[in-house]
Amino acid sequence: MSERQSNNGSAFGRRKALALPFAALAARSGRAVAQAKEPFRFGCLMPTTGLEAGYGLDFVKTFEMATKDINDHGGVNGHPLEMVVLDTQAKPELAIPAAQKLIDVDKVPLIVTAWSSVVKALGPVMNRGRTLQLNMGANSPDIANLGDFTYSTFPLADVDVTALANYCHTKMGKRRAAVLYINNDTGIGGAKLFRDTFTKAGGEIVAFEAYDPKATDFTGLLLKVRVANPDMVHMHSLAELPQVIAQMRQLGMTQQITSYSVGYNPKILAQLGAAAEGLIVTSLAPTSTANPNVVKLLDLWKQVGRAPNGLPYLQYAWDTTLVTAQVYGWLDQQNMPLTGENCRKALLAIKTFDLPMTGKLAVTDDHKVQKPVYLYVVKNQQFTLLETIA
Amino acid sequence: MIEPAILLQILWTGIAMSSYFVLLTVAFALTLKVEKLWNFAQAGLMGVAFFAMFYAMNALALPTWAGIAIGLGATIAAAVALEVWAIGVLRARNSGGLTFFIFTLVFSQFAAYALTILFGTEPETIYPSVMSPVRILGGVAVSDWDLLAVATTLALMAALWAFLRFTRDGQFMIAVSDNAKLAEIYGISAKRAYVISGVIAAIFLTAGIFLYGTRAGVTPDVPLVLVLTAVIGALLGGIGRIFAAGVAAVSLGLLQSFSILFIPSKWQALLLYGVLFGALILFPRGLPAWRIWRLRRRLGPATPPAAPEPLTEAGE
Repeated sequence: MSERQSNNGSAFGRRKALALPFAALAARSGRAVAQAKEPFRFGCLMPTTGLEAGYGLDFVKTFEMATKDINDHGGVNGHPLEMVVLDTQAKPELAIPAAQKLIDVDKVPLIVTAWSSVVKALGPVMNRGRTLQLNMGANSPDIANLGDFTYSTFPLADVDVTALANYCHTKMGKRRAAVLYINNDTGIGGAKLFRDTFTKAGGEIVAFEAYDPKATDFTGLLLKVRVANPDMVHMHSLAELPQVIAQMRQLGMTQQITSYSVGYNPKILAQLGAAAEGLIVTSLAPTSTANPNVVKLLDLWKQVGRAPNGLPYLQYAWDTTLVTAQVYGWLDQQNMPLTGENCRKALLAIKTFDLPMTGKLAVTDDHKVQKPVYLYVVKNQQFTLLETIA
Repeated sequence: MIEPAILLQILWTGIAMSSYFVLLTVAFALTLKVEKLWNFAQAGLMGVAFFAMFYAMNALALPTWAGIAIGLGATIAAAVALEVWAIGVLRARNSGGLTFFIFTLVFSQFAAYALTILFGTEPETIYPSVMSPVRILGGVAVSDWDLLAVATTLALMAALWAFLRFTRDGQFMIAVSDNAKLAEIYGISAKRAYVISGVIAAIFLTAGIFLYGTRAGVTPDVPLVLVLTAVIGALLGGIGRIFAAGVAAVSLGLLQSFSILFIPSKWQALLLYGVLFGALILFPRGLPAWRIWRLRRRLGPATPPAAPEPLTEAGE
């Protein structure tokens, strides 16, 4: 289990402060740079190795960028913010002992997480350990029911998948849908939601098929779909999404393909080429055109030297760091110790967060997050905005 | 669902997809036969082959033939080095079977970690695109990748058969596999046979992982999963039966492909291990069809009495 601590992220230049609540906290401390006071630490459980590391490492990088930015602007009331990162490989069996270490050894009161199977597995661990879990990227609808110590800063699938399924039926006129999904918590939850929403809207699900997470050949599965004769195929996949699409197109199947936010990834365009044309995916965060704050994040990534994986997720990673800073700042102002229970109290007391990358976040009793949904379609090898669903 | 065109498509794609399993299984079975070695280090060699080709073709932007040549060279060099400086040393010390097993496993894990440090853990494909041109023949989609995979596998299998059947080194390998000490009394170098079997296995491994890596993403720990499938093929084919192991690999691939007609797709992987479980319990020496066939060849009136057993095995 690899571990690293970070309070300054990568070597990025000093940036202008965004108009953020935490900046006000920093200003109140009267310090330009957080150094002298005891650091405030939070945990970060992400896949930094394994199949999902392409996303996980970029999430961690963005947490580091945001943490550095906060510290460059005075930290949290003068306290430097520190992150303790542990690897999960997106696997619950690794995430549970890692979380236990963060709770028992590192004594962090708040842990940021992602990946549905990990977040769901950690729900009971967080409840027992009375430590706050902030989910910043998993979208299984079940996450809303994990108890008092799991909240999301990221909308669950019932936001974007519901919007997508309704759009396909009402706006695109699709009537017969096939749903293919990876057989894990991410796939099962999202696929069921698409099925139920599409059916409720009046459509028919003509095939509903899961595949093994280690599968590389999807021919039989796709032939089953072909026989069912759908007019669209929704894929609730992870890293294997390009392979499924490639094999579908190679079998001569030309149906409309949709996926969720994991499909909004430039690498998919490179792997599929012309076969990606027409693919519709969701995104839960505005682009740099709609939100100039995103330019700052893109500028930081330019210094890394490559396009980041899953930019919308990174926007949530950035904002989740700010939520953490605000929660810690609120507790510091109230002279309350940094515990999981107090972090939960602070989250509910602050209730509304104005965040630079993803907009307003309202913490609600149902543990759900409402955000606008952006639908993108691949046109001429680029993701083009198709519709914004408020 | 059960229409001729669909059955043909599943059959064709199943054969094409099983091609790299055949190559990896034959590599494993060959080492098992000649060296009596459960060589899990082949997972590490697969990793070396894939990332050498990946680096050559992507970072160095070399053409495909040069990338394959570099991958092949690196894998053969690693295989020979492993044989001469590690496995050969253990053999000279009369180490137990468990020591070999643990060593080869440790080598593969070491290679996986080293490759992780060098190349990261994001799934990579040899070519940036996973698409392959397709033509429809008789209602069946046949991609260039399918043709390349099947042709490569057939060519390598035929070459191996010819090598074992018609060359002195091939026959010496069979002799060593039958009884290494007796073979050495007759002046056959067991060491040379081991090195040659390692080199041949390296060629098969490079070809297998090239085909896999042009279709699906590879991370440094993927070869460990692939070598397990090769073990299943080698066990089902019967220990020491190289070509039967290849046939078992194709059969397993087809079984998995056709199972989609009867069971949900998510159970396909379970089926593979279920078959292995049943086969190990019921037929610990391999599936009985092969044994009956061999018995008929041995006892049947048409069988030439002078044919030596090891050569018969090689000629399966």
